[in-house]
Amino acid sequence: MAARGHVQDPNDRRLRPIYDYLDNGNNKMAIQQADKLLKKHKDLHCAKVLKAIGLQRTAKQDEAFTLAQEVAVLEPTDDNSLQALTILYREMHRPELVTKLYEAAVRKVPTSEEYHSHLFMAYARVGEYKKMQQAGMALYKIVPKNPYYFWSVMSLVMQAISAQDEKLSQTMFLPLAERMVEKMVKEEKIEAEAEVQLYFMILERLGKYVEALEVVQGPLGEKLTSELQSRENKCMMLYRRLERWAECNALSCKLLLKNPDDWQFYLLYFDSLFHLIDQSWTPPQEGTHSAEGEVHASISQALSFMEDRIATEEAKESKHLRGPYLARLELIRRLRERSCPEAQQLGEPLELMFQFFVKFGDKPCCITDLKIFLDLLTPDQHVQFINRLMEAVPLGAPGEDGVAFPGDTRALQRHLCVTQLSRSLGQQHALNTQGKLGLIKELKAHYRHGLQFGDQNMLWQSLGLLEEGLSHSSSNAQFKLLLLLLYCRLGAFEPVVDLYSSLDAKHVQHDTIGYLLTRYAESLGQFAAASQSCNFSLRFFHSNQKDTSEYVIQAYKYGAFEKIPEFIAFRNRLDHSLHFAQVRTERMLLDLFLEADISSPLEESVKSMSLCPEEDDILWDSLRDNRDLTVLVSWNPKDRQLNAEHKQRSLEDDTLWLRLRSLTLRLIGCVSALTHPPASRNSEKRTENGVAAKPSSLRSLLSQLESTLNQATQFTEKQLQYPFVGPVPSRLAQALSSGCCQCQLSSLQLPLHLQELEAAGLDESTELQTQISNLFKSLAVQLQDILEKCKGDPLEVKDSQSTTQHFLLENLVYFVETVCIVLWVSNYCVSVLRPLKSSLQKKKKKKKEASTVTPPVLSAYQEFNSSLQSLLNQALEHIKSQEISLTALKLGALSLEGQTQSEVRTFTKMAMDKVQSSYLRSLQEIGELLKKRADTLKSLKI
Amino acid sequence: MTTLRAFTCDDLFKFNNINLDPLTETYGIPFYLQYLAHWPEYFIVAEAPGGELMGYIMGKAEGSVAREEWHGHVTALSVALEFRRLGLAAKLMEMLEEISERKGGFFVDLFVRVSNQVAVKMYKQLGYSVYRTVIEYYSASNGEPDEDAYDMRKALSRDAEKKSIIPLPHPVRPEDIE
Repeated sequence: MAARGHVQDPNDRRLRPIYDYLDNGNNKMAIQQADKLLKKHKDLHCAKVLKAIGLQRTAKQDEAFTLAQEVAVLEPTDDNSLQALTILYREMHRPELVTKLYEAAVRKVPTSEEYHSHLFMAYARVGEYKKMQQAGMALYKIVPKNPYYFWSVMSLVMQAISAQDEKLSQTMFLPLAERMVEKMVKEEKIEAEAEVQLYFMILERLGKYVEALEVVQGPLGEKLTSELQSRENKCMMLYRRLERWAECNALSCKLLLKNPDDWQFYLLYFDSLFHLIDQSWTPPQEGTHSAEGEVHASISQALSFMEDRIATEEAKESKHLRGPYLARLELIRRLRERSCPEAQQLGEPLELMFQFFVKFGDKPCCITDLKIFLDLLTPDQHVQFINRLMEAVPLGAPGEDGVAFPGDTRALQRHLCVTQLSRSLGQQHALNTQGKLGLIKELKAHYRHGLQFGDQNMLWQSLGLLEEGLSHSSSNAQFKLLLLLLYCRLGAFEPVVDLYSSLDAKHVQHDTIGYLLTRYAESLGQFAAASQSCNFSLRFFHSNQKDTSEYVIQAYKYGAFEKIPEFIAFRNRLDHSLHFAQVRTERMLLDLFLEADISSPLEESVKSMSLCPEEDDILWDSLRDNRDLTVLVSWNPKDRQLNAEHKQRSLEDDTLWLRLRSLTLRLIGCVSALTHPPASRNSEKRTENGVAAKPSSLRSLLSQLESTLNQATQFTEKQLQYPFVGPVPSRLAQALSSGCCQCQLSSLQLPLHLQELEAAGLDESTELQTQISNLFKSLAVQLQDILEKCKGDPLEVKDSQSTTQHFLLENLVYFVETVCIVLWVSNYCVSVLRPLKSSLQKKKKKKKEASTVTPPVLSAYQEFNSSLQSLLNQALEHIKSQEISLTALKLGALSLEGQTQSEVRTFTKMAMDKVQSSYLRSLQEIGELLKKRADTLKSLKI
Repeated sequence: MTTLRAFTCDDLFKFNNINLDPLTETYGIPFYLQYLAHWPEYFIVAEAPGGELMGYIMGKAEGSVAREEWHGHVTALSVALEFRRLGLAAKLMEMLEEISERKGGFFVDLFVRVSNQVAVKMYKQLGYSVYRTVIEYYSASNGEPDEDAYDMRKALSRDAEKKSIIPLPHPVRPEDIE
C-alpha cells in the first residue's frame, strides 16, 4: 500500500511490519507496533497515520480522526504519510480532506509533478472542476506534457456539463475549451487519439457540426483508429445532425455493402432515402453524387438495392444473414405508410414472412424478428399465416392423445416459434376456457416430449410444472424467475431465498432485480431474510459511491475523456436509484421494528442510524427507476405486454409507498427525540446528533403524511393492474386496506396533543383531556379492526382443494408494525403523563386532600394500556392456533384433481409443502416479534 | 439484423438476459469501469432492433512488445440464449481480432473452461488452438473441485511464423501465468 521500492530509507524498513499487519487485517497488532515505534521515534508521522488506519478499521473513528489531524496540520511532504493519509481519508469517506493535504504539499514543494498530479486527482474525486482546470495547467507549466494540458481542457468541459446555466456552458466554458485545443492544433502539438476525441466532444457539444466534420475528415481524424469504424460512425452522426441526406444515404449504402446485417444502417438508409425523395433531390450535373459517393434518391433505386442484397444472400450456400430479409419487410412497411404502390413489388408480407420462417424458423430469435412485422398482416390473414407456418414444422404422426410431436431440436424450435407467434397474435387469448385447457394440455405434452432432447388449482399446477421444469433444467433462469414470482404472489417467501440465490445475482443486479427479493420479504414477515436482502443491496450501493470516483480518475489517466461524464452519470444513476432509497428506508424501519426498545432503547437505535427527522435524505425529483422489468420473457399479444404506462404507474406506486415509509420513519425519529430530549441544550450539538426535533417538524411531517395518504388512497382507488410478468405492485394497496396507515397516522398525532397537555398541566385542560382520551379509545378500536383483518386460515383445505389467503399474513405484519409504533408513542405518553401524575400526588400530599378523582387522561391511558394488553394476547393466541393448525394440515391427503401424471403430482405436492413450511415460518417470526413487543408493555404503565 | 456499438454504463442495467446465464459471470462495477476507462474500444455490445441486448464482448490489450507478447485478450464473451446460433459470437471475435491487429498485437488469447465444449469447439472453428492448460484456474464456490482452463490462442499477422501459438508441453499453474 505504500512505495516499497526505496529499501534504502530506514523509515520504510521500520514501517514495513505495520503495513504488513494492516494488509493482513491484523489491526490490533498494527496499532501496537505503531505505538512501539512511536516511543522510539516520536516524529515518525507516518506511524501515527498507520495507527489511525488501524483505529479506523477497528471502529474507533473519532480517535483515528484526531490522530490523523495531528499529522495533517504539520502539512507533511513525505510520500509515506501522504499516501497513508489518502487511504485513511478515503476509508473515512472524507475525500475532501485529501485535497487539503496536497494543496499544502504543492505549496511546500511547488515543483513536484507527483504532488500536483495527486492534487488534480484529489479534486477529481470530489468533482471540483474549476480547481482541476487550474491544477492541470499548473502541472503543464511544470512539465509540459500533453495529457496535463488536456486534463485541464476536459475539466472545462466538465464545468460546462455540470453548469446549471446552459448559456454559461455555451458562451464561456466550451468556447474556452475549444480555443485551448485550437491553440494546440495551430502549434501542431496534437499527439494522441484521445486529444482528437476531446476536440470532437467539444465541437459536438457546441453544435459546431461542420467544424466537427472537418476535424474527422481531415488529418486529425486519421488518429481515430482504436475504435472500429470510428470515423464513419462519427461522420454518419454528423450528416444526420446536418441533414446532409445525400451523404448519409451514400455512406449507409457503403457500410451496408460491407456489413449487410447492421440494422442501424438500414434504418438510416431508408430515412435518408425518403428525405431525399421529399426534397426532390437530383444528382449534380457533373462529378460524383456526394462526398461519400453514389446516392439513391428514388424508390426504384431502393428496390433494386434491396433485391441485390437479397440476391447476394441467396447466392451464399450457408450462414444466411437475416438483415436483408428483414430490411425488405421494413421497406414494405415504410412504403405502405407513404401509400406507395411500389410496396407490392417487394412481395406479399405473409409469403415473405413464411419464407423467412422456412430459413430461420429453427433459430430462437425468429420470434423476436417476426413479431415486429406482424402488423403488416391483416387480421383476417392471421389464421392463414399460422396454418401456413405449421406446414413448415416437421411433426411426427399423432399419438394416442392426438398430439403430434417434433422429431428433433430444430423442429421443436420451429414449433415453439409458431406457438409463440400464435400467442402474440392473440389467438390463444381468444380461446374459450375449454380451448385454453386443451392447449395447456397439449403444450405440457409438448414440454414433456421435448425433454428427451434436453384457478388456484391452476396456480398449484403451474408451480408443479415449473418445479418439474427446474428439476430438469437446473440453471434455467426463466423457470426460477417465474417460480419466484408465483411463490411471492402466494405469500410464500421461504422458497424464494434459494431461488434468488441460485440465480447468482450480484453487484448491479442487486439494483436491477433486487426488487424481487426486497418487495416481499418483510411484508410476509420473514424479517431475517428481509434484513439480509436489504444488506445485499446496501453493500452494493455504498461501495459504488467510493468505487466510481476511482474510475473517473482512471479515465483521465488513460485519456478516455468521453467516459468521464458517462461514469459520473452512472454514479448518479445508482445514487439516485429508487431501489437504493427503498432499501435504505426499509432497512432502518426494519431495524427499529426488530430492535428498538427490545435490545436497545429507541433513541439509541435512532442515533446509531443517524436518522435526522428534519432532513429528507431522498432526492424525490431525481429518483431513477433502475428496475429491469423485462427480465421475464413474455410472448403475449401487445395489449397484454408491459407498456410505458405500466412502468410509469408502477414508479408512481412505489414512490408513494416510499414517501409513506420515509415519513413514518422520520416521525418515529421525532417521537424518539420528544421522549428523550438531548441533555445538552446546545442547539448545534443537537442537530449534529440528528435527534433534534422541533415541534414544528413534527407538525409538518404529520401534515405531509396525511396528504400523502390521501394521494395514496386516490391512487389505489384506480385499481390498476399490471401484467403478470410486469412490475410487482407495491405494498400500498394491501397496507391501506388493512387500515394500518390510518392507524399509524392517528397514533403519531398523539404527541402533538400531549405536548399541549404538558404545557397546560392537568388542572386547566378538561377539554384537551377528553380529546386525548377519545384518541386513545379510537386507537384501540382501530388496532382491533386491523387484527380482525388478520383472522382466518392462510392455507385452507376445502373439498379436497387447497386455497391460500396469504394477505392474512401481510395484514399480520401490518398489525405488528403498527403495534411497534403505538408502543413507541405510548412510551412518549408515559414520559409526559408520569411526571404529571407524580406532581399531582405531591400536591395531594401537601394539601392532604382526600379526593380520589383521577384526571380523565390518566384513567384513559390506563384503560388504553390494558386494551393493548388484551389485543396483544388475542393476536398471540391467534398466531399460536394458526401455527398449530398449519402444522397439522396434511396436504398429502389432497387428491390433485385433473393431474393424472404422477410426476406432476409429485412436483405440485413439493410446491405445496414449500408454501406450507414458508407460512409456518412467517407465523413464527411474526409471533416471536409480537411476544417481545408484548413484554415491553409492562414498563409502559403509569 | 444487429446494431454493433460501444458498450456503455447504462447497458449494465439491461444485460440481465445475457448475464443470468450460469456460465456468464457478473463482475463488480469496478471491473467493468476499469475496462471502459482503459480499453473502451474493446468493449462492444450487439443490440437487437427492439432494443434488447443480444450479447457483448469485453477485452483488453496487454503484454510486452519486446518479448513479442503484446496481444489482445478476450475477458468475456456472452450471447443471450435467444440470440444464439446466429454467428454473433464469431462476429464479435472478428471485431476484437481486428482491433488487436491494428494495435500491432502478436496474437489474441482467451481462457475457457475445459468442460465448456460448445465454446471450445466454436473457438477452434474460429482458428484458435489450445496453447496450454491452466490447472484449477476457475475456483468453485460450492465445494465442487476447481476447474482447469484452456488458454487458447490465435496468431495475428504480426506473428507470421505463428511462434506465439506453439503449444506448451506441460500444463501450468494459475500463479505461473502473467
